[in-house]
Amino acid sequence: MTGNFVNRIGSVVAMAAITLCGASMTGAQQKATPAKMKAAAIKVMLIESNEISLPAEFQVSLYEDLIAQLKKKGGLPHVYRDGDRNADGASDLIVLHTTLRGFKEGSEKLRQVTTVAGATSITVHCAFTDKDGKTLLEQDLKGNVRFFGANLRATFDFAKKTAQLTRESFSPTAGT
Amino acid sequence: MMRRYLKRVSVVVCVVMLWAGVSRAQATASAGTKVTQIKGLSGVKDKTGGMLAVDGSNLHFTHEQLKVDVPTASVEDVVTGADSQRLIHGTLGTLTMFAPYESGRFLSLFRTKLDTLTIKYRDSDGGLHGAIFTMGTGKAELLKKDLLDHGAHSTVPVDENAAKPATKEQKP
Repeated sequence: MTGNFVNRIGSVVAMAAITLCGASMTGAQQKATPAKMKAAAIKVMLIESNEISLPAEFQVSLYEDLIAQLKKKGGLPHVYRDGDRNADGASDLIVLHTTLRGFKEGSEKLRQVTTVAGATSITVHCAFTDKDGKTLLEQDLKGNVRFFGANLRATFDFAKKTAQLTRESFSPTAGT
Repeated sequence: MMRRYLKRVSVVVCVVMLWAGVSRAQATASAGTKVTQIKGLSGVKDKTGGMLAVDGSNLHFTHEQLKVDVPTASVEDVVTGADSQRLIHGTLGTLTMFAPYESGRFLSLFRTKLDTLTIKYRDSDGGLHGAIFTMGTGKAELLKKDLLDHGAHSTVPVDENAAKPATKEQKP
């Protein structure tokens, strides 16, 4: 009799736990997938670095990697370069402005010799705006090269993260 | 008699050496500078080796059958810099990292110096492009001067840039 009662209570508690767990998971999923903004094209501006000096090769590498990664993994059908006249007539255009917030040039030699020292890191503030300059999304992203590869690999790491953020935050407009 | 003979021989040797030097210089000038295109040049894969030359009003990159021209007038900025790479690089360099007794790390200490040349240019639609090249030391400044002579622009004057020491590989 007592054993039956204990069994019943046990099963009720287990069911309640499962229900609660399911509810919390659904909540988490809802939190993880906010509504995506619509966009048909993105225009990438050259990185601004007024306060911190950035070597020219890093500036160019960052810009070219961003364009390559956005074309590959950004999820938007059109990617325009800074100054491209074709972007003027594009509908649902978003503009990506990047500003350098931090830069530490490491040493490839030190990385190859010690493995742990000589990391290169770059911190960039990304602002997605619409055509009129209204900010849609802002976030700081980091690019690092810690163990293997040339210093310029930090810009590739940053570009990959930016493309992922773009894919997660914007969805292509229907018909594009 | 002997003195005369030696004089003739030395004159012939001098002429041959002069001819060889001139023909080599001409070959270098026409073929361009041996470079590695790190990234950015339209239609060229990253880390592609080739020849770079300023040919009339174009910056001319060739790799086997592939030819890419960038009008020098469209070049908005030319910046040179310095870098270094492992003496043994590429696939063999990667393989040496697995060599026993950490000898791969030891080999990383032996490095060759490089010049870098970074350009920014506009395409026919006004879109901004950038390209990075590496080459042997002392060649980037000559290419930059050549580019500026043919209508390219730069934010860093040639002399000022040449005076800069190699600062790329710094200890953190």
